[in-house]
Amino acid sequence: MQFDDQGRVNKSKKRAVFNQPEAKNRVELFRHLPQYEHGSQLTDLESKFLELDSMHPAVYKVGVQYLAGDVTGGNARCIAMLRAFQEVINDYSTPPGKTLVRDLTAKISSYVSFLIECRPLSMSMGNAIRFQKSRIAKLPLTLSETEAKAALCNDIDRFINEKIILADKVIVRHAATKVRDGDVLLTYGSSCVVEMILLYAHELGKQFRVVVVDSRPKHEGQALLRRLLAKGLSCTYTHINAVSYIMHEVTRVFLGASSVLSNGTTYSRVGTACVAMVAHAFRVPVLICCEAYKFHERVQLDSICSNELGDSNDIARVPGRPDVNSMDNRTNEKNLQFLNLMYDATPSEYVSMIITDYGMIPPTSVPVIVREYRREYLLI
Amino acid sequence: MPDTQALVMTFLTSLKNATARQTAELLRSVISQQRVPYTNQAGALIDAVKAVGEQLIAANPVELAVGNIVRRVLHIIREEDLSLTTAAIGELNLSAVSDDENDDDRDGNTTLSAAAVAAAARSTLRPPSLQTLLEDTPVSAAVPQTSSSGGDSEGKTADKSSRSRKLKHDVIEAVNELIQDIVTCHEQIAEQAVEHIHQNEVILTLGSSRTVSEFLFAAKEKKRSFRVFVAEGAPRYQGHLLAKELVARGLQTTLITDSAVFAMISRVNMVIVGAHAVMANGGVIAPVGMNLVALAAQKHAVPFVVLAGSHKLCPLYPHNPEVLLNELRSPSELLDFGEFSDCMDFGSGSGSPLLHVVNPAFDYVPPKLVSLFITDAGGHNPSYMYRLIADYYSADDLVVQRRAIAGN
Repeated sequence: MQFDDQGRVNKSKKRAVFNQPEAKNRVELFRHLPQYEHGSQLTDLESKFLELDSMHPAVYKVGVQYLAGDVTGGNARCIAMLRAFQEVINDYSTPPGKTLVRDLTAKISSYVSFLIECRPLSMSMGNAIRFQKSRIAKLPLTLSETEAKAALCNDIDRFINEKIILADKVIVRHAATKVRDGDVLLTYGSSCVVEMILLYAHELGKQFRVVVVDSRPKHEGQALLRRLLAKGLSCTYTHINAVSYIMHEVTRVFLGASSVLSNGTTYSRVGTACVAMVAHAFRVPVLICCEAYKFHERVQLDSICSNELGDSNDIARVPGRPDVNSMDNRTNEKNLQFLNLMYDATPSEYVSMIITDYGMIPPTSVPVIVREYRREYLLI
Repeated sequence: MPDTQALVMTFLTSLKNATARQTAELLRSVISQQRVPYTNQAGALIDAVKAVGEQLIAANPVELAVGNIVRRVLHIIREEDLSLTTAAIGELNLSAVSDDENDDDRDGNTTLSAAAVAAAARSTLRPPSLQTLLEDTPVSAAVPQTSSSGGDSEGKTADKSSRSRKLKHDVIEAVNELIQDIVTCHEQIAEQAVEHIHQNEVILTLGSSRTVSEFLFAAKEKKRSFRVFVAEGAPRYQGHLLAKELVARGLQTTLITDSAVFAMISRVNMVIVGAHAVMANGGVIAPVGMNLVALAAQKHAVPFVVLAGSHKLCPLYPHNPEVLLNELRSPSELLDFGEFSDCMDFGSGSGSPLLHVVNPAFDYVPPKLVSLFITDAGGHNPSYMYRLIADYYSADDLVVQRRAIAGN
């Protein structure tokens, strides 16, 4: 939705489930994206729990988890959403005078707009929702209600299994062939697929070191670091500014992605583009590990036209640094803005190879996969 | 000498925050307290400065500004000495011309006799040659007593002591000028701000540098309208402080994380940063993260401008600067020790810890990524910086070490 269009914003506010105050100091360049004050949203939503009759509790739970940040990562968010939809379908009964197809689609759409309010959709979620709606639309009219519900739940199970879980296994197997003994592998932030690759290669007995690069404000790399150390991998930890210092030791860079777009641009956590650029400057191969269901037919040239903006207080406040935090009361100052980007777009020339469940492809082959394998959303 | 030693010791303990100005002031007091012999005054001063300079550089080799100032002072001493000698020789030529006419007037004149000038010329610093190495005897004994009158030899000794006082005086004046230059370099660089910033610009900077903030304030004074993106510069987070200062002066500022630099740089017109040191090949030693910004700026064809006072220009060429000219800081700035104490165990069979934390303080930016250097001496290309070295430093001083005096 275009956020700089005042009419549409007002309309959506009327439909909104809970109150979201807009941020006071908005960055001009991002006026087309929603920027909210993050302090009161969670308490507001929690207080509305008993008032929301039309909301299925499973969907509400997922929404709260998104808002609180308990569930992060493209795969995890998608699976949580689909499981919630499964419960919705199981509990669903067609009201009299309406058809299953239309009513269920309308219900799903309303749940989706609630989830969007909690947190804007990731591309993987968007693709999953489109798949879901197309399966509902394609239901043969001869089926009874129970049969239809069973078929839909079955489809969701197959989707999760084939497109996410098995796809991850295939990716891990392909990528482990790219890890040799004596390698130094660099990864940025925390991607579940890359973590699986590292652990699998370690189980295979390959000798390698891992460099975990992390950045503010989320410090997602620390969780990954802890899990890798628990499994006995030898790790180096650093922050994104030191990437140029550490890159001369690195042999391969493994990165995760939120989505890969049709012009080969990788859309992933902010900072990935910096890491890929430095790796390219030092001639280190960059491998993106991404399931094929995350590919999208959109194209994007830079990180500004479409992005997600996080909490500006996360930037203003530096935990553990009281000398810097005297800035905190300044969030309302007119001239000062804080920009908390969540995603950025990595140009395709920095990426050597994309590892997907369809194999290892160059970035230029992404539109081919989108076109050939997406026809009618086949479950292949 | 014990006074200077005490001064040097206190200086060394506070070397972490040493600035170029403090080094210059310390060397000035070393020079003023140094007793100089009647001949070879410059050599004695240079030895004294080298002795102190060696200690200063060894205490913190990464702080290149200290070494720069030591070398500047040595260069000043050599230059002053040279100019005094050429002035004396010039006077002698004049007096030789007038010799025929005023033979009696020479008594009480301050002109030096030819022999004394020759002795003085021997005592000034010359590039080491076989002759000077063999001639290590103190020069005062070699001064030939010419067939001059008593008044002449009185004039000689009086001249020599006044000349030695003059040398110290000149050197201290020049060092004062150097200190003045260091203090005012910000204003001189800021004067050039209007030439580079036009209306409706978007400027990106990383971390905090006083030169950069003065530069931007000067442009604001001249009514140029521009916006600034400040990258916070983890793990020191100096960018927050710079943003505060800029907002206090009324500039539109947006604070971003370092990871967002590549995302935002496509909308930036110019990158302006400060430097910790500028090496002789035009490379820049800057706070960590600068190489990232420079690469992103090159990719998007955004000019990368480095502001540096001339006291930051180092005559050394960088070899493996990421390691040799870098400082690794405490991991506690990145990881909380309390949370990760279980992972710091010396776990695996080899006995070495599984977790290493790397926290470098500086970054090296190669000269091909820099578009322009703006110094207090004007704007320069990176390929020109090596020529400026000849203005400020002597080739003899590149390695600051006392030469062992033969026959000790």
